[in-house]
Amino acid sequence: MADPTDRQDLVLQTIGLRKHFGGVLAVNGVDLSVAPGDVRAIIGPNGAGKTTLFNLLTGDLPHDSGRIYFAGEEVSGLPPHRLCRRGMGRTFQITSIFRRLTALENVQTAFLSHHRRHYNILMPARRLYRDEAFALLERVGLHEQARKPSGILPHGDQRRLELAIALASSPRLLLLDEPTAGMAPRERHEIMALVDRIASDTGLTVVFTEHDMDVVFAVARRITVLHQGSVLTEGSPAAVRANPDVQRVYLGQPAAR
Amino acid sequence: MTPSARALVVLTVALALAPLALPPFFLQLLTEIAIVGLFATAFNLLMGFGGMVSFGHAAYFALGAYAAALLVKRAGVPMLLALPAAPLAAAGGALLFGFFIVRLTHTYFAMLSLAFAQIVFTVIFKWKSLTGGDDGLLDVWPPAGLKSPAAYYYFTLATVALSLVALRAVSESPFGYALKSVRENPRRARFIGINVRRLQLFAFVISGAFSGLAGGLFAFYNGSVFPDFAYFTKSFEPLVVALLGGAQSFFGPLAGAFGFKILEWLVSRQWPVYWPLFLGTIVVVVIVALPLGFVGLAGGRGWRTRLTGKT
Amino acid sequence: MSGLSVGMFLFLVSVGMSLIFGVTRIVNLAHGSFYMVGAYLMVTLVEVLPDRPWAFWLALLVASLGVALLGAVIEVGLLRLIYHRDPLMQLILTFGLILVISTLVLLAWGPDNKSVSRPDALAGSVPIFGQPFPSYYLLVLGLAPVVALGLWLIFYRTRWGMLIRAATVDREMLGALGVNVAALYTQVFAFGSWLAGLGGALAAPTIAVALGMDGDVLTTAFVVVVVGGLGSFAGSFISALLVGLLQSFGILIFPAISIVLLFAIMAVVLVVRPWGLLGRPEQ
Repeated sequence: MADPTDRQDLVLQTIGLRKHFGGVLAVNGVDLSVAPGDVRAIIGPNGAGKTTLFNLLTGDLPHDSGRIYFAGEEVSGLPPHRLCRRGMGRTFQITSIFRRLTALENVQTAFLSHHRRHYNILMPARRLYRDEAFALLERVGLHEQARKPSGILPHGDQRRLELAIALASSPRLLLLDEPTAGMAPRERHEIMALVDRIASDTGLTVVFTEHDMDVVFAVARRITVLHQGSVLTEGSPAAVRANPDVQRVYLGQPAAR
Repeated sequence: MTPSARALVVLTVALALAPLALPPFFLQLLTEIAIVGLFATAFNLLMGFGGMVSFGHAAYFALGAYAAALLVKRAGVPMLLALPAAPLAAAGGALLFGFFIVRLTHTYFAMLSLAFAQIVFTVIFKWKSLTGGDDGLLDVWPPAGLKSPAAYYYFTLATVALSLVALRAVSESPFGYALKSVRENPRRARFIGINVRRLQLFAFVISGAFSGLAGGLFAFYNGSVFPDFAYFTKSFEPLVVALLGGAQSFFGPLAGAFGFKILEWLVSRQWPVYWPLFLGTIVVVVIVALPLGFVGLAGGRGWRTRLTGKT
Repeated sequence: MSGLSVGMFLFLVSVGMSLIFGVTRIVNLAHGSFYMVGAYLMVTLVEVLPDRPWAFWLALLVASLGVALLGAVIEVGLLRLIYHRDPLMQLILTFGLILVISTLVLLAWGPDNKSVSRPDALAGSVPIFGQPFPSYYLLVLGLAPVVALGLWLIFYRTRWGMLIRAATVDREMLGALGVNVAALYTQVFAFGSWLAGLGGALAAPTIAVALGMDGDVLTTAFVVVVVGGLGSFAGSFISALLVGLLQSFGILIFPAISIVLLFAIMAVVLVVRPWGLLGRPEQ
C-alpha cells in the first residue's frame, strides 16, 4: 500500500472517509489508494457500502468526514462537473445517457463540453467533433448505431455508449458503477474486455464495483473488499480469493466457484 | 428544390404580398400572430427544448414592452432606438430572477417564476409615477414611416423572422446540444463537465430577451402598454400556444400562434364573452387528451416537420 | 383590524388549497375561482331568501355546499383523468378551469359588481378601544378560532381526519390497507372546495363581489400556502395570519411595497426552503 505522503503518485486516494445515513454508518473510515494504471474492483456483499462510497467519490453525496485526493490534489466536496473537468469520468449503475439524442450526438455533446464550447451559440454543432465521435463509437463497437436515437438501442449497446460518453472527456480515472448490471454473461465479458483493452492502451486508471465474481477475477488487477462500510482487505485477485475472511464474509461460498 | 424549401418560398412570397391582397385588419392580425409566435417560440426554448416550464414569462414580455415605452414617452427616444432596449431590459430581469429560479426544478421552478412575475406586475401597477399604473402608458406609436398597418406588418415580420433565425441557430449550436443534454439527463450532463445551473440560466436569459423583444414589438403595435402585460394569465398564453402547436418542434409554437389567434378572432367576433370559456375548455381538453399538442399527435403536417427535422 | 379578517378568509381558502395538495398532490389554481363562486352564490341566495334572521346563515351554508358540490363534480369528472400525469400539466389544467369558471360566472351574474348586505344583527359597529369596529368583522374574528378548532378536531380527532393525514404521508400504503383512496380524494377535494366557498361567502358582505376577485385571492393564497408549507394545515394557519397582518400593517406603513414584500418573501422561501415553513420536503 502506498505511503499517504506519496500522494502525488496516486490517481485516487481517500483517507478516513465517513458517511452517515440516519443512524447507519454506511461508509466507516475507508482508506483507499489507487495507483495509476490500476484496474481496481471494489466488491463486497449487499449493504457493504460500495455504491455509497462511489457516490462520495464522484461528488454525488457530501461526506461527513475524511478526505479525497485526486491526482495529488484534494477534491473533497467538489461538485460533479468540477470533478469531471479534473479528469474523473463515471458511468452509472442504471445506464445514464441522453435518450432522445442519437448515439453520435451523445458523444459529440460530451466532446463539446470537454472542449468548453458548450456556451457557443454562434455556429451549428452538427459537424463539430463528428470524426472524433465516430472514432470513439467505433472503439466501443457502436459504429453502426451512430445515427440511431440512443433510447432505442439494446441495453448492452447503451452501456457501451455510456462508456464512450465517459471516455470523450479524456478522463484519467474512470469510475464504473456495476458496469455489467443487467447484461447477459457473454456481453459482460465483452464489455469488461473492452474496458481492459482501453485501459491498457491508454494507461487509464479504472475503479469499478461489481457483483459478478467471474468478471472481477477476469479483469481486476487489484481488489478491495468492503464489509459493513470499511475495508476488509485489499490485494491481488489471488490473495483476495484465498483470504479466509473474505470467504467467510461471502457466507462460506468461496469466491471461485 | 426540396418540397419543404419550396413551401417556405411560397410562404415567404405569400406573406410579402399580403398587404396587397388583405385589408388592414388582417395585416394587423398577422402582425399579432408574428409577435405571439415569437413570444411562444422564445418561451419554448425553455420549455420544449430545455425542459423548464416557466409560469411567469409575462414578466419579460412586460419588461420589454415597458422599457421601450418608457424610453419613448419619458425620454423622447425614437422607436428604432427604444426597441433594442426591450430585449436588454428583459434579459436583465431574466438574469436577476433566473439566478434564483434555476436553483429549483419542476413545480417549484414554475411557482417561483410565477411569484417573480407577480412582483413585476405589482411594481408596474403601483409605481404610478413612473409607469402610469393602472392607466398604463398611451400614445406609444411607431414613427410616421412605420405607422401604417402594412409598414408595421413588414417591420414586425422582418424582426420576428430574424429572431426566429437566431433562436433556431441557438437550438442547433453547441449550446443547444448541451441544453438538450441537460433536459434529457441532468446528472449525466454534470458528468460530462456541464455546470447545469449556469447553462440553464443562460438559456433563461436568452428566452427572456426574445420574450422582451416580442413585448417591445407589441407595445408599438398596440400603441399603449398596461400592467396586465405582466399578469399571470398572460404568462399562460405562450404556454398554451406552444402546447397547442406542439412543444417538441421548433415551429410548433408558431403554428400554435397562428391557430390560437385565428380561433380567438373567430370566437371573439361572434361571442366575445365566450372566448375565455372556449380557451379554457381547449386547454382542459388538450391536457386530458393530447399530451403533445396537435402537431405532436398528428405527426406534424408536411413542410413543418420536415423543416424541423430532429427535436 | 380588517387585516385579520382578511387573514381569516385567506386562511379558509389557503387551508383548502393546502389540504388538496397534501392529499392529491394537485395545486388547484382554480381555488380562487371557488372562492369567487361562493361569494356570487351568496349574492343570489341572500336576494332569494326571505328577509329573516336565519336567512343569512342558511345562505352561508348553501353557498358553501354549492361550491363543495362543484368541487366534487370537477374532481370526479376531470381530475381523476389526470392524477397520473405530470404535476405541471395538472397545474395548467386547473388554470384552464379558471377561465371556464370565470366566464360561467360572468354569464350567470353579469359584469356588474354585486354586493351582499350584512345581516341586520351584525350591520352596526361596536366601540373597541374608542374606535368603532364593524360587528361583522367581530363575527369573522370570532369564527376564526371556532373554525380552526373545528378543523383541528376533524384532522386530529376523527377517523376521517386520520385517513387524510395518512394520505398526505403515504397514499399507496393507504390503498394497500383497503381504504378507498379514490373516494377519499373526492371527499378531500369537496371539503377543500367547501372551505374556499365558505371563505367567499363569508367575505361577500365585506367586499365588492366582482369578476377578478378570483385572481386576487388566488395570488395571495398562493403566497400563503407556499410560505406556510404545501400540505401543512398549521403552516397555512400561521402563514395566513402573518400575511393578513402584513397586508394590513404593510398598507399602513409601506403602501406601495407591501404586496411586493409578500411576493419577495414567497420567493425567498421558495429558494431557501421550498417546502415552506412547516411543510415536508418532497422525496
